[in-house]
This record gives sequence, structure tokens and C-alpha cells, in this order.
Amino acid sequence: MNTSYIPGPDVSIQVDSVSKFFGSPHKSSSVHALDDVSLTVTKGEVFGLLGPNGAGKTTLVKILLGLVTQSSGNASIRGIDTRKFEARKPIGFLAENHRFPGFLTGAQLLMYYGQLSGVDRSYIKKRIPVLLDQVNMAKWANTRIKKYSKGMMQRLGLAQALINDPDVVFLDEPTDGVDPVGRLEIRRILNWLGDQGTTVFLNSHLLSEVEQVCDRVAILNNGAVLAEGSISDLTKTTTGTYTISVAGSANIPQSLQTVLGEIQDRSSSGIVRFNPAISDRESLNQLIDSLRAHAVPIESISRVRRSLEDSFIDLLDSPVD
Amino acid sequence: MSPTYIGLVRLTFRELWARWVTLGLFIVSTLAWLMVTFALNIDVVEGSLAGFRVFGDDVMPTDVDTDPSDLLNTIVVTIQAAVAGAAYWVAALLGLFATGPILASSLEPGRSGLLFSKPAKRSTILNAHTTGVVLVAALITVYLLGMVFLVMSLKSGIWNFRFLLAIPLVVTMFSVMYSVMVLVTVISRSSALSLIITYGLIFSSIVLAAKDEIAPQITLPWRNVYLGFYHVIPKFAEVTRTVAQLAGIEPVNNLYPLASSVAFGLFVYTVAVFVLKRQDL
Repeated sequence: MNTSYIPGPDVSIQVDSVSKFFGSPHKSSSVHALDDVSLTVTKGEVFGLLGPNGAGKTTLVKILLGLVTQSSGNASIRGIDTRKFEARKPIGFLAENHRFPGFLTGAQLLMYYGQLSGVDRSYIKKRIPVLLDQVNMAKWANTRIKKYSKGMMQRLGLAQALINDPDVVFLDEPTDGVDPVGRLEIRRILNWLGDQGTTVFLNSHLLSEVEQVCDRVAILNNGAVLAEGSISDLTKTTTGTYTISVAGSANIPQSLQTVLGEIQDRSSSGIVRFNPAISDRESLNQLIDSLRAHAVPIESISRVRRSLEDSFIDLLDSPVD
Repeated sequence: MSPTYIGLVRLTFRELWARWVTLGLFIVSTLAWLMVTFALNIDVVEGSLAGFRVFGDDVMPTDVDTDPSDLLNTIVVTIQAAVAGAAYWVAALLGLFATGPILASSLEPGRSGLLFSKPAKRSTILNAHTTGVVLVAALITVYLLGMVFLVMSLKSGIWNFRFLLAIPLVVTMFSVMYSVMVLVTVISRSSALSLIITYGLIFSSIVLAAKDEIAPQITLPWRNVYLGFYHVIPKFAEVTRTVAQLAGIEPVNNLYPLASSVAFGLFVYTVAVFVLKRQDL
């Protein structure tokens, strides 16, 4: 085991060549859940972990929380090996499909789980109303959890994850079952946490949501990191950043057709859409001038904005080297 | 004690209360000591036994030569020993049945992740849970046997404090058997299986307790297998005699059943902690 790695002061989460086998690695029945995964999350970053079902996301989160032990490699939170319980002191966690004891009220749950996090009772007492207010659950503080809706459980879960004022928060599908207004509130809290310097590690299937809140993401598939970077890096187009629609393609000379590329779409009214291989304004204007010079009627020009979902699907569909 | 440990013990207490376990055991215990109160009618005149009725029937011994004051003492102590033995079985069987599902529910997906992601060692979490369960069992045992002691002592005027020694014994054997439940639950996550195995061991101990009669009837090498089981498995049935002896006036002449059972419990619990520490949750 390599224990010589010392992360920088701004590193909140460090994953270094982590692999995980369930079962013996020499047996065919074993599952290779993670394969040499490495990533770094810095302080105050809102980091998203994406991947299809079975990609290894939950296994990675569980390794970081000390619930699962990696087969090889190192993982640390604020420089402390995740296999040590001390690594869990500065963290908060909201699990997917969590089950809180239904016999407790919201306020009681925060008191018990705050104590389990090693927080002083008097501090928790002060913090409970603040947190419940923040997640819009103040009026349900003394209602038993078994009467809560799914959305209320999620909001309480988020309050629970923040009860110990953590430096690093792990959230597994935090908006699952929450209505659009509640989602907006949760996104607001996540952005606020990032602004406060809290590191947020978000595991979510809702790519549009990840796109809205995360500074950086990693895409995991079959236990390996396919891509890692900022949202703008991952959504950057490689073929071009504009689409041009023209009324008919008959007048377009061969030299321009090379620039315009293949026809992407042809409507019944004769409008033809191209996705030219240009990415800057100057080239775009030159292309427009050329089209005008050849009397090609331009119907519309728009900037291509790829969503994270597009990039995600492309990455998953791309052949493995 | 750390806030985490205290929080976990309180949570276990709270869960046992919410699942009606504590109240259920309290009601059963109340009924038990009330039954002793109303079933036994002891008439004492100037320190001697003048009448003794059980459920209204006169069972006063008439053909004994014992001094009436000694007779009173003998009857009170005998009853107390019998009550202690019965309480030992009832408390253990009922207590194990009632508390069994608590650990399994704590280890269910959705709860275990939240619990074990807290900054505490897994051994601390398991120890705190076990402490909570054993404390509830101890409180109920103190209440049941304490009330029986009080009622019988007030009725008879005989204060047999040795009876109270049954309390730690009942709690100790409950803990031994609970450790079996902990190990099976940690491995299987099944409270039903843990109950089956624990009750199986308890009922096996009845057969093993008759080793002096059974062992000579078995041929080798099966006799050694039988005796091997006898020495390994907790001697729950045999300890009943120790409980009765402690509660009564007989000397306790053999502590091996108790000592070996405690050793078994400690070993099994240590294995449970070891397994839990190595598990992927």
C-alpha cells in the first residue's frame, strides 16, 4: 500500500488508482466494480459523478465513506485515508433511498444523527432550527418522519447531511422525489455550500441538474473514468459550434460545400441545415459573405450548444480503446 | 463516553421503546409479579408460618417435622428460587425475541450507510447498540425480580438478599445468547435466522445438560462429539440450576456452565465485531 502520497492543502477528496473487486479477482464470478480510478476534488468545488447504472459510482462513493474497502489504490478525504474512521469527521452524507427511523420527528432525527457525528448537543440544538428553516421544513420539525412525503424526506436528509457543519458533503440523488420548487431550493443550497467553501460531491442521474450546479464532473463507465473536467470542457463541440440553415443547396459551390460539411437535416420546405466545421466568429462571417456572394439565401444561423447529456451519450457510445 | 456512543445507546433505547419492546416487556413483567402477589398467600403469625395458599388452595405442609419458622424460610426461598429460574427463561426467550429484529433493521440498506458513514469505529457502533439492548434487558430484569423480591419479602417478612444475585446472572446469560444473535445477524442480515439459531442453541442445551445420563449411552467416537458440543455450546439450561442455587440457600458448587457460557459469548461477539469490520456495507 502506498501511503507516501500527501495531497495539497486545497485538496478535499483524492482518489489514487483505486480498484475494487467484489469476490476474488482470480475467479470468473468476481465483479470488477472499479478499475484504476483516479480523481481529485478541490476545496469548495461542487463535483458531479455521472455514469449509467452499474458504472461503479455507488462503489466509489462507498469507498470514500469508508463503507467499502478498495482492493487496491488509495483514497483520502482532506488527507486522511478513508479506511480510517477519522476521515469521516468532516463529512456529511445523504444516501440514495435512505431510510430514517419513522418513529422520530425531524428535530429528533437531527439531534440523534448530530450526536452520532460527534457534535455537542448544545450546538445541535442551536443548529436544528436554522437547518430546518434552510430546507423549508421548519413547520414539520415536530412531526414524525413516517408521515413525511418523499420530497420532505429528501429535504430532511439534506439537513441531516449538514448537521455537523461538514467540510465535504456527499449527496446521492439529492433531488430524487422532490418537486420542481424543492429542486430549485436544493440547487440553491448546493450553490450556497460551494460559495461557503464546502466541497460537494454529487452523484446524480439528472444530467441537467448536474449541469446547473456542478463546477466539474467525472463520467464513469464500467468502473473506469471516461472523462473528467469542467462542464464547458465536456460540452465543447468538436465538429463546429454553429448551425446554418439555407433555403436550398443547389446554388452552393463545391468549395463552400467542403466548409459546410454534410447536410444534417433537410425539411419538406427545402430548408437545409449544415453544421460547418468552424468555431470562431471571423470564420463564420467569412462563410456568410461567401454564401451571400453566391446568392444562397440564409434562413437562420444559430450557435450550437451541446448539453451535458449529449456529451454523456457520445462518451458512452464511443468505442473503447 | 463519546457523544457518538451515547447517541447510539439513546437511539437503541428510543427504537426499543418505539417498537413497543420496552413497554411489552414491562407489561409482561408487571403481570408476572402481580401474579406472584395474588397467587401466593402466606399467613405469618409471630414469625412462623401459619398458613400457605397458592391460588386459594391450602398447600400448607402438615406432615413435616420442621419448625414452623424454618418452614416459612424454606418455602419463601424455594419459591424465590423457582421464580428466579422461571424469570431466567422467560426474560431470555422473550427478550431475545423482542430485541432480535433491531440490529437487522439497523443493518438494512438505506440505514446502514447513514449509520456507518458517521465518524465512529464499527466496533463502537456495534458495542453501543449491544449496550442499549442489554441495558433495557437489565432494567426489565431488575424491575421483575426486584418487585418479586419486594412483594415476597413484605409478605413473609423474610429478606433473602441472595435472590437479587439472580439479576446479574439473568442479564449475563441474556448477553451470551444475544451475542449469538449479533453474529448471525451480522453475517446473514436475517433476524429470523438469528432467532432460529439462538433458540436452537438454547433448546440443544437442554439435551446437553443431561450429559451424565446420555453420554454413557453413546458409543465412541460419537460420545466425544456429543461431549465436544457440550463443552462448546452455551449451557443455558444448566445455568438455570445456578440461578436457582444463587437465589436459594444452596451453595453454588459448579461455576463451569456459567464460565464456559460467558467465554463462548465473548468469543462469538468478538467474531461478530471482526466480521463486521471486514464487511463491505
